Amino acid sequence: ITSTNVSLSCISEMRDKLRKWREENYRNSEQIVDVGEELLNEHASKLGDDIWIIYEQVMIAALDCSRDDLAWSCLQELKRQFPDSHRVKRLAGMRLEALERYEDANKLYDSILQDDPTNTAARKRKISILRAQGKSSEAIRELNEYLEQFVGDQEAWHELSELYINEHDYAKAAFCLEELMMTNPHNHLYCEQYAEVKYTQGGLENLELARKYFAQALKLNNRNMRALFGLYMSASHIAASPKVSAKVKKDNMKYGAWAASQISRAYQMAGRGKKENKCSVKAVEEMLESMQITMS
Amino acid sequence: MGEVELSCLAYAKMYLHASQFPRCSVNGLLLSSSPAGGDVCITDCVPLLHTHLSLAPITQLALTQVDAWCSQTHQRIMGYYQANACVSDSSPTPCALKIAEKIFEQCNNAVLLMIDGEKMFPGCRVPPIVMYERKDARWALKDKHTIMLRQWEETCAIVNQLFSSGDQALLVDFDSHLDDITKDWTNQKLNAKIMELISPANGNV
Repeated sequence: ITSTNVSLSCISEMRDKLRKWREENYRNSEQIVDVGEELLNEHASKLGDDIWIIYEQVMIAALDCSRDDLAWSCLQELKRQFPDSHRVKRLAGMRLEALERYEDANKLYDSILQDDPTNTAARKRKISILRAQGKSSEAIRELNEYLEQFVGDQEAWHELSELYINEHDYAKAAFCLEELMMTNPHNHLYCEQYAEVKYTQGGLENLELARKYFAQALKLNNRNMRALFGLYMSASHIAASPKVSAKVKKDNMKYGAWAASQISRAYQMAGRGKKENKCSVKAVEEMLESMQITMS
Repeated sequence: MGEVELSCLAYAKMYLHASQFPRCSVNGLLLSSSPAGGDVCITDCVPLLHTHLSLAPITQLALTQVDAWCSQTHQRIMGYYQANACVSDSSPTPCALKIAEKIFEQCNNAVLLMIDGEKMFPGCRVPPIVMYERKDARWALKDKHTIMLRQWEETCAIVNQLFSSGDQALLVDFDSHLDDITKDWTNQKLNAKIMELISPANGNV
């Protein structure tokens, strides 16, 4: 194997990593900068047309790591190659945001929108600026307006649910998550988040809904620990409520007991051979024991 | 209220927690191993969440588990810390006040600690923290001079050392534990590293 072949496979490994992170939308910016900077500095000629999307990916990661030097040089390459591109203009705007020059960033996005009022990327950047400035109610208002037009934008629905959760507006957060569950019925995370919101809203009806959706999340992914604990806690609270019928109490004690045994098993397996987990295993066992007492 | 001492261990882990999730609000519990009624010393902390701080189930779960662990290890929960995602605003959120309130019900010299993100830059001379105590049925700003951080310079040096050695990545919060339950939210490994750096045998103190 000649040295050129070895470096070629290395290069393709690095490219694959970057592609995977791009496709899965990971925000592991330090790693992206690490791998991407080396690729761009040492092996740019071997990247073919991929180089432009890599410049974009590395630039955004560089902004995340306060590497304005790297972000600037990536931006320059992209500007040179795509002089009138809205996509590149948006990247320039993101750099201004990173420098907290929000007014200048907004001007840039407004000029994109004047040219192309349907440019969703620019609209979403403007909403991100509102968020960064702590203007939550305005961000919520703009996001709602945006979703009236672009009702299928999953990312936007999720962003809105997060904003509502931060504002303690659980009913509206639940509504957003319902939209997401409808369009993504196999996504266990949306089910589990919805259940958490319902649990937080409280009251018997919401607890029962919470339990159902924690169970659904587990059906979709039986290793979701939050869903497992959530099922345990909601079932236990329902069983302990003086307002429920004997049958409901019995059923929920059954669900709670099942969840408890699953939790116990999961922690036993996790703790095997690892002395440092002793503490968390013990804490869980004590919790399960103490809740048994309150339930009966 | 009197003096509150903040240990190097507690400070370092809070700082690491906030640094590990720069785009999120993070929170955690402050613990004390000193007897109730004596001088107040925050000897340790447990980093809790970096997502959905204001949702109930995981917070409740974490409080219960930390409580259980505390009784096993002769510690008590005596405070709460939070660092807001929006760095320019370090005021306590409704969620922070709620949890601090709950802690106060069990501990009458509970403190609420907000991390001031704007002061978290290398070379900053002032501890990036703002502390609140219970006064006249509300949370009032605590006089800076009653907050003791012994050996502040050494503490800063230790935090820097953790970053340069890469050990800051060892920090596990409760959220991360739920993503992978083989991770230890009591941070035994990281605690040991920090205690090693604090120990006089190292020539650091």
